[in-house]
Amino acid sequence: MNREMLGAVIRKDLRLWFKNRFLAVITIAALFGYAGIYYLLPSQIDETLEIGVFAPAIASALSAPLEEEGVILEQYASEAALKEAVTEGEVPVGVSFPGDLLAALALGERPTVDIYLSADLPQEFSDLYPILVEEWIALMAGTSMPVEFNEEILGPDMAGSLTPTRDRMLPLLAVFVLMVEVLGLASLISEEITTGTIKAILITPLSTEGLFTAKGIFGVGLAFVQVTLLMLVTGGLIKQPILILLILLMGAVMVTGIAFLMASASKDMMSVMWKGMLAMLILAIPAMNVLLPGLTTDWIKIIPSFYLVDAVHQVINFDASWGAVWSNVLILAAFAGVFLALGILALRRQFR
Amino acid sequence: MPENAIVTNNLTYQYGELVAVDHIGFEVAEQEIFAFLGPNGAGKSTTINMLTGQIKPKEGQATILGMDVADDPNKVQEKIGVCFEITNLYEQLSAKDNLSLFAKLFGVREFDPEALIKRVGLDGRGDDIVETYSKGMKQRLMVARALVNRPDVLFLDEPTEGLDPQSSLAIRNIILEERERGATIFLTTHDMAEADKLSDRVAFIDDGNIAALDTPHNLKQQYGKRVLRAEVSDGDGKLQEREIELDKAETAAEVEQLFEQEQVVTVHTEEATLEDIFIEITGRALD
Repeated sequence: MNREMLGAVIRKDLRLWFKNRFLAVITIAALFGYAGIYYLLPSQIDETLEIGVFAPAIASALSAPLEEEGVILEQYASEAALKEAVTEGEVPVGVSFPGDLLAALALGERPTVDIYLSADLPQEFSDLYPILVEEWIALMAGTSMPVEFNEEILGPDMAGSLTPTRDRMLPLLAVFVLMVEVLGLASLISEEITTGTIKAILITPLSTEGLFTAKGIFGVGLAFVQVTLLMLVTGGLIKQPILILLILLMGAVMVTGIAFLMASASKDMMSVMWKGMLAMLILAIPAMNVLLPGLTTDWIKIIPSFYLVDAVHQVINFDASWGAVWSNVLILAAFAGVFLALGILALRRQFR
Repeated sequence: MPENAIVTNNLTYQYGELVAVDHIGFEVAEQEIFAFLGPNGAGKSTTINMLTGQIKPKEGQATILGMDVADDPNKVQEKIGVCFEITNLYEQLSAKDNLSLFAKLFGVREFDPEALIKRVGLDGRGDDIVETYSKGMKQRLMVARALVNRPDVLFLDEPTEGLDPQSSLAIRNIILEERERGATIFLTTHDMAEADKLSDRVAFIDDGNIAALDTPHNLKQQYGKRVLRAEVSDGDGKLQEREIELDKAETAAEVEQLFEQEQVVTVHTEEATLEDIFIEITGRALD
């Protein structure tokens, strides 16, 4: 095995990759497409609460208690207009106050306040809004619960700096880019096995170890370059670039091992595709968890991509440093080593 | 006296319980064209796979140019060229790219793909992608690929099977040229006529065993019979066939009698083919 041999195999693989229209298109489309999706998503999070109100005669009294609470009141001219706004989704909730609200309260009466909730409002918010309105009215009436609240934020105070959806999505996009490479590399290798070209290459002075080295460099290199480009254009390398690059490199090694495994178990491109899609879905689960944090469960940690996604998420979105993610990096490196070893073992059997 | 390029001793390979190659032994001299003949599943390809270092023998030993194949297959592979039975070219690449890739893998410094492409009769098509080639053209390119490193031993597995006469002839000529250059040729084929024309010696392999091994001439002498075949007219214009076995004491008298008593229309001598001999030895045909 020498550099010239390895270079020849790598150059050949690169040419075959880009001569295959499907692989060429998905590689370029994935890169541009995922970068495009990132930039199409909003870069900021709206942290305000919007409430529609119909409150004849008491409009000015309404907003005072909610100042500095991040609540935006949208006034409507009639109750019908308010209901229509809620129905159309302009505001998630509408509150209709009677005109004599304050006077009735002063007389100790119990006036009726109508709350209109959007049909697609989650149950927890549907339950929360009536309590909020109750508190709101109590503040307007000058009464409040006889307790003092002491608020303490555990962890960094993210108020005003919540992670935008697109940045939460970045680890998912990285997994997708890596998986595209898995599909390509696996179908390239499985085609070489099926057509017997691997056999021809192995009856040359190039050893099996040399062939795996060349395939490994090609697979890891291509995956790493693609995912690094994605991070570069989306600003994912601004914070802790060396740490992010190391995490991505481990991810690239892991997906190359997965590609070897998939190639050993597939006969053609179609077989690679369906197995690849299945793998993609599984590996994307931890990234979905970043998008929708409520899904967090412990079993998600058995999915190897969790450690890639979590580390990238922590570094990009929470400025985590080496000290915070070293365990993720170690576990990811272990998974990468295991997958690569298993992939080589499985593929080696196919070369005989 | 030329040395042996290939030596096998007790060479054996099993796929599970099935013995594909059963303790075979033979030698192939340098610059010899040696044909390995047998039906499908007889053990031809398994033998080639062991000789080229693709699989390790379960028992026995094979040496190529004095090197043990199982001990250091890569060292042996530097010196050999292999043309496979099944076309296994990179079809999305051009012929030149295919050959240049293998030249790099063999560490050939000054390689002229154009010259090799011309030699196998594909001049002008070197830049075309292989996918656009006919079967005959692909097979010629396979042979060209096997010659990239100017091998000392050339293994050709069914090199002319299913080819048009022009491509077959081109490949036969290359085999003879390579022998002239100094290469040893190990050939497997179904085509007995081809083996007869090209080979210095042939081995019949059947059920993993070598059933016979000698020069085509000696095999014909040993197992075949020469005959004189004549067409005679029966007087009503109808033709009938007569056969007289040659090399017998009474042959001369039988021939004289034929010409005296019959109206001979055509006459020719015929000797046994390798196929006849294979059937006689193994009791079955090649296909």
